[in-house]
Amino acid sequence: MSKIKIISREIFYFSFLLLGAFIILEIIWPNIILAYFNLNWLFGLGLLAGLTSLSKK
Amino acid sequence: MHQPFLTKWPFLFKLRLFFILLGLISVAAFLYLKVVPTGQIVYERDYEKALRSGKGFVYGFTPAERVDSSGAYPRLVGDPVYFSLFTPRTFTSARVLITYRDRLASKKPLIELGVLKDKIARNYDLQPAENRLLDNLDGKWSKATADGVTFWQKAKNYSDLAAFQKDLAANKLKDCADGPTSCVAVYNYSLAYDYRLSGIKKDKPLVIDQPLRGEHQFYVYVSQDSLALDFSFLDMNQDKGQDPISVNLYYGGDLIDSGSLDDNNPDPTGGITEEKSLSLAKKNLQPGVYKAEIKISDDVVIKKITSSSSKLSFINRIWPVSASGSLTLYTDTAYLLAKAFTPASLQTINFNNQSFALDEPYQQFEFVSSDSANSAQAIRLAKDDVILENNGVFSWAADSLFNPNFPRVDSHLDLGEIKYIVADYQEPVTQDDWKIATIDFSLLDSYRENGKYSFLISVPGLKEGSNGYLEIKSIRVELSGRTWLEKLKSLYEQD
Repeated sequence: MSKIKIISREIFYFSFLLLGAFIILEIIWPNIILAYFNLNWLFGLGLLAGLTSLSKK
Repeated sequence: MHQPFLTKWPFLFKLRLFFILLGLISVAAFLYLKVVPTGQIVYERDYEKALRSGKGFVYGFTPAERVDSSGAYPRLVGDPVYFSLFTPRTFTSARVLITYRDRLASKKPLIELGVLKDKIARNYDLQPAENRLLDNLDGKWSKATADGVTFWQKAKNYSDLAAFQKDLAANKLKDCADGPTSCVAVYNYSLAYDYRLSGIKKDKPLVIDQPLRGEHQFYVYVSQDSLALDFSFLDMNQDKGQDPISVNLYYGGDLIDSGSLDDNNPDPTGGITEEKSLSLAKKNLQPGVYKAEIKISDDVVIKKITSSSSKLSFINRIWPVSASGSLTLYTDTAYLLAKAFTPASLQTINFNNQSFALDEPYQQFEFVSSDSANSAQAIRLAKDDVILENNGVFSWAADSLFNPNFPRVDSHLDLGEIKYIVADYQEPVTQDDWKIATIDFSLLDSYRENGKYSFLISVPGLKEGSNGYLEIKSIRVELSGRTWLEKLKSLYEQD
């Protein structure tokens, strides 16, 4: 598997795991993340990375 | 051949280690920003920047009809305007720097910022941002500043504030024949003065059976050594939720007595009203001015007040309801802010023998009497449920009226008789076309709900449709609070 696919797959895992962690933090302490950072960017990064890792060469 | 340590690791392992560390650092960073271990942090909203990475900490101006967001910067076109500050933890003090420019119609604008202290009484701790009446005194009156307090004199009769205060305490102010409250004005400053009414030998009782709605405060003058206050309340139970009642009595700024009633039936069926009563009685009092504070929500009506002293004046605001006919009351200032609470309250108000039309409900109108020399201006209302406000006092009889306060320096003050002004005020700094006002607040007893402190920006007299506005470029809040070490120490000491 090419390095690009490996990296994009890992970015996909990282983005959604981090997104999950941030959502849990938001549930416990509302606005702890959202005040600084729009989670849609992280979601978009994960989505882009996922699509890249799925794309054919 | 010996390989360097890291190259032994597979690429995937190194990549995952990198992402794990990045994730842990990210979570730790947000937790650090949540706890603020140093106790100091700055939150800022710059309206010049269109793009923002997050929601931010300074939340939007409300109500929307008082804000014009069509331009590059938000413009406040009505008064007052509210905004919230989200904080992830509590703090003890805040320094607010507000960058703005104004196009205000008034020649003597007053701009103030306030933080909400009491949600039930809707009390804000108002602090000055700009007072152009004071700014315009530069070069015309003698001015001396010490410890943040400025002392202006029309003619330089005193070397400093201390010399002035010495003569004030002795009631021997120079160039002030009619007494200190006629020639001294203050702004954001409490000037110590033992106010006394002359010619009163004995207190006479007073009964006020005109119902009043919501929170009220009043001064009562005690000429003997005791004071008795009896209150009857009616909890209308129109709103769901708690309606606690508390009454506080102060002398010289110190709380000397209080009484309270919990609401044991916050959500009765059918909107059933409940009658309640509360009394305060104190003996061995010093003669002088006492202040009573009745803290209730708008769902509670003060049915009756019985006082052992007839010298009783309501402070700044009065809201009569359920009147059986027309009402007559008195005030000591030459202007009046009136708001009809319901369409049924619309009427023509007679203020000092001049007629003013209160012809729109829920809007605040300003009425100015042409005779400012009259110390007891009569207000005649044909209907009740009108909220009356000003910077003075109100009473139900002209001989009950008294005001122990020094006049406040606002846009309504006539400087004609004023010889001395004492103010805790810092003029805003001008930078290009913008002004930067710095306002300090204590947040210790401020109201905070869902992590937000509530603020308001007040520009008295600014009305929608008047073409005047206050344009905001940025709001920066520097917060100070306990460090994590101090917090741990306090938790340890509690145990």
